[in-house]
Amino acid sequence: MLEWLKNINKEHPEFWKNYHSKFEKRSSRYVILSTQNTGLNPDKDVILSIGAISVINNSIIVGDSFEVILLQYVYLHENGLSNEFIIESKQPKLGEREAMQAFIDFIGNAVLVGHRINLIVDFINVALEKMDCGKLKNEALDIEIMYRKLMDITDKEFSIDALCDIFKIRKSEESSSSEDAYNTALLFLKLKSRLGLN
Amino acid sequence: MNAIVERIADFLKKYPPFNILSFEELTIVALNIKVINLEKNKTLFQIDDVLHDSFYVVASGTINLSVISDAEETLLNKCVEGDVFGLRPFFAKNNYMMTAKAREECIVYTIPIATFRPFVAQNEEVLNFLLESFASNTSNPTDRENKGKLLSDNVIFSSQPSEIQHFQSLSYNKMPLKVPPASIIKEVAQLMTDNLLDNVIILDQNLPIGIVTDTDMRSKIATGRFPITSTIDTIMSSPVITVVENVSLAEAQLLLLKYNVSHLCVTQDGSIKSEVKGIITEHDLVVAQASNPGFLIKEIKRAQDAKELQKVRTKLSDLIQTSIAKNIPLLHIINIASEINLAIIKRSVELAILELGSPPARFAWLSIGSQGRKEQLLITDQDNILVFEDVAADKYRDVKDYFIKLAKKTVGTLQKVGYEPCPNGHVASNLQWCKSLTEWTKQYTNWINSPGENRNENCSIFLDYEIAFGEPKIEEMLTDIIFNNVKKNKLFFDYLGNDALRKPPPISFFKKFNVEETGINKDKFDIKIRALMPLIDAARLFTLSQNIQGINNTYMRFKQLAMVDSKHSEIYLNCAEAFLTLSKIRTLEGLKNDSDGQYINLEDLSKVDKEKLKNALAPMKELEDLIKDTFQLTKFS
Repeated sequence: MLEWLKNINKEHPEFWKNYHSKFEKRSSRYVILSTQNTGLNPDKDVILSIGAISVINNSIIVGDSFEVILLQYVYLHENGLSNEFIIESKQPKLGEREAMQAFIDFIGNAVLVGHRINLIVDFINVALEKMDCGKLKNEALDIEIMYRKLMDITDKEFSIDALCDIFKIRKSEESSSSEDAYNTALLFLKLKSRLGLN
Repeated sequence: MNAIVERIADFLKKYPPFNILSFEELTIVALNIKVINLEKNKTLFQIDDVLHDSFYVVASGTINLSVISDAEETLLNKCVEGDVFGLRPFFAKNNYMMTAKAREECIVYTIPIATFRPFVAQNEEVLNFLLESFASNTSNPTDRENKGKLLSDNVIFSSQPSEIQHFQSLSYNKMPLKVPPASIIKEVAQLMTDNLLDNVIILDQNLPIGIVTDTDMRSKIATGRFPITSTIDTIMSSPVITVVENVSLAEAQLLLLKYNVSHLCVTQDGSIKSEVKGIITEHDLVVAQASNPGFLIKEIKRAQDAKELQKVRTKLSDLIQTSIAKNIPLLHIINIASEINLAIIKRSVELAILELGSPPARFAWLSIGSQGRKEQLLITDQDNILVFEDVAADKYRDVKDYFIKLAKKTVGTLQKVGYEPCPNGHVASNLQWCKSLTEWTKQYTNWINSPGENRNENCSIFLDYEIAFGEPKIEEMLTDIIFNNVKKNKLFFDYLGNDALRKPPPISFFKKFNVEETGINKDKFDIKIRALMPLIDAARLFTLSQNIQGINNTYMRFKQLAMVDSKHSEIYLNCAEAFLTLSKIRTLEGLKNDSDGQYINLEDLSKVDKEKLKNALAPMKELEDLIKDTFQLTKFS
């Protein structure tokens, strides 16, 4: 509640100010994102990777995408987890700070879309807080809620895999945040047209 | 590298023309792709839309490419996973000439022309693939037999699609004689004579400035107006009438008439300010016309005997073959072929009348069965009946005598042309099928009200008829008799329904084709009995029960049914399309083996064609259920 007070005297980093200034205009860009985390608790767990891709005018813009693996060596070490996947992956790797900054630059004022987007946003906000930034200002849409709305179902949960099966979207063998983001983007296009959102 | 880009590049590299490119190149392509989702029945672009700045690759789902012709949507092609389409912006500036619509929900990759053009420019193989795809209207030219034959006919559906002659391309002399303006007339005349040509083009700085033909030589030299020692430019006709390279027959004809000339000069861009590519003469037009449908019909009308008619029928086979190769919609080919068949029958009856003298009573010569349904592309049997008006009892014998003679002659002529009489004897020369209207009324009433009485006789082919010669009123009266009798006649529909269902199934329980087990056609697939007949029977059954009169063609029947019985329209439309596909497969088989195409050699079919065949058989199951349901079949089953 008094969060803004807590931050009132703090000087925000340059990129964060820049991010804020982007909200003067409304965006027609959607950024569909997916993350891999060590767990489900934003306060205890950390983000391991982020994949994101944009949708403009009902088209997925393949060139406008973002992916990063976060180097969480300290966390992994403390919790006795393997860091092998970080070493093996060919994707770009950054420390958490640099990764978050790049991510914020990428999303700008776009509308965020994801599967259980609230949890994703919570994770990102925790990471941002460590960097003397405020919370994300972006609007957010949740794929699962969109599907429930479409089908008029309230009491059932749908995993991303279940939704892909329902809409006959082929999943590739290796799963990564980018793959998930792309599949979520396809789901988003399908749900968007079915719900008549334009 | 980005995982999504990699995933898309991996997908592309499986399909032409992308398989020609390196993975690095594909990465660049993938980076520029936009992915779109099309809901079922959503149109991506349609005829006359301004060109998009991209072309498309189907990532999943099916896109239908179609043209509107004769106020009807005709399917050109189905694009499935990996197919490219919408190539027009690469090669042309005018608007789209076809419609692309999602047949089911699709994911489509949009590739900007600007991104892909460099790869096309650098890579001849890619260019050739795109050109061929574009020209042939099919997504994958490697599937097609006439690979490498780059026809300009891809615009055939532009204006008047029903006339094949309109887009028939011309062949002409592409190495015309060319001389400079200062050449001496005598030498030019010698050159023309040596080359057996009746024309020469006069070039100044490589551009055509005039033409000299035999006519000029006659009117200006032989008359003594100019000496043979003057230079050629004194007698040339100028300017020359120029046309573009891929001018159609119809256009060339119009130009000759408009300018009252006998020769057209083909230049690169169609103006007199570009390089000469050839000369079209009147003779070239005559040659081209010799194989067009209008000309064939004229020839039929003039034919004096069976032999001349037979020649025309052979030409029709050629016409069908080239039309199919040019991807002209099967429906048009069927229409034209049936018009020509009809003209041949008509002429055969006329020839008989010319020999026997005028008939003593009015009559109608009706084609029945496949000819009656206007579905005959290949030469198959002839089935026909003759109905004459009622005459006084004392004249009956003479009249019947005359018509039997007439029928014998006509059937004989048709046999010589190549239509073998039906093995079941369903021809008008048979006493049983040449009779008066009253007798026919009894016959039909009997068939309809006590169906199945004579098990050996299948009356259903008598329910598809088309007048070929004679009094149209008689045909109308027959139609009335039939429809009045079938109304609410459960027993008859029961009988027809069971008859339709009695055909052996095309696909076994294990999704394999049911092939012939014995005989000379062992291991072949009987497309007529197992696939086409059930559709034909069902279409007839439903049109009768829905009281749809005057439509005899199976395809049109299904189309009409889809409109009248909208609840089941999807089944009917699927059947209509399946019927065309099956007919095409049968026709191709028939043309290949010079047979009636009844038995398909499955081993000769490509994997794609086999799949097409299987897909075309799919709607039959639904149709079968619909028959059982609608007519509550019990009695005969």
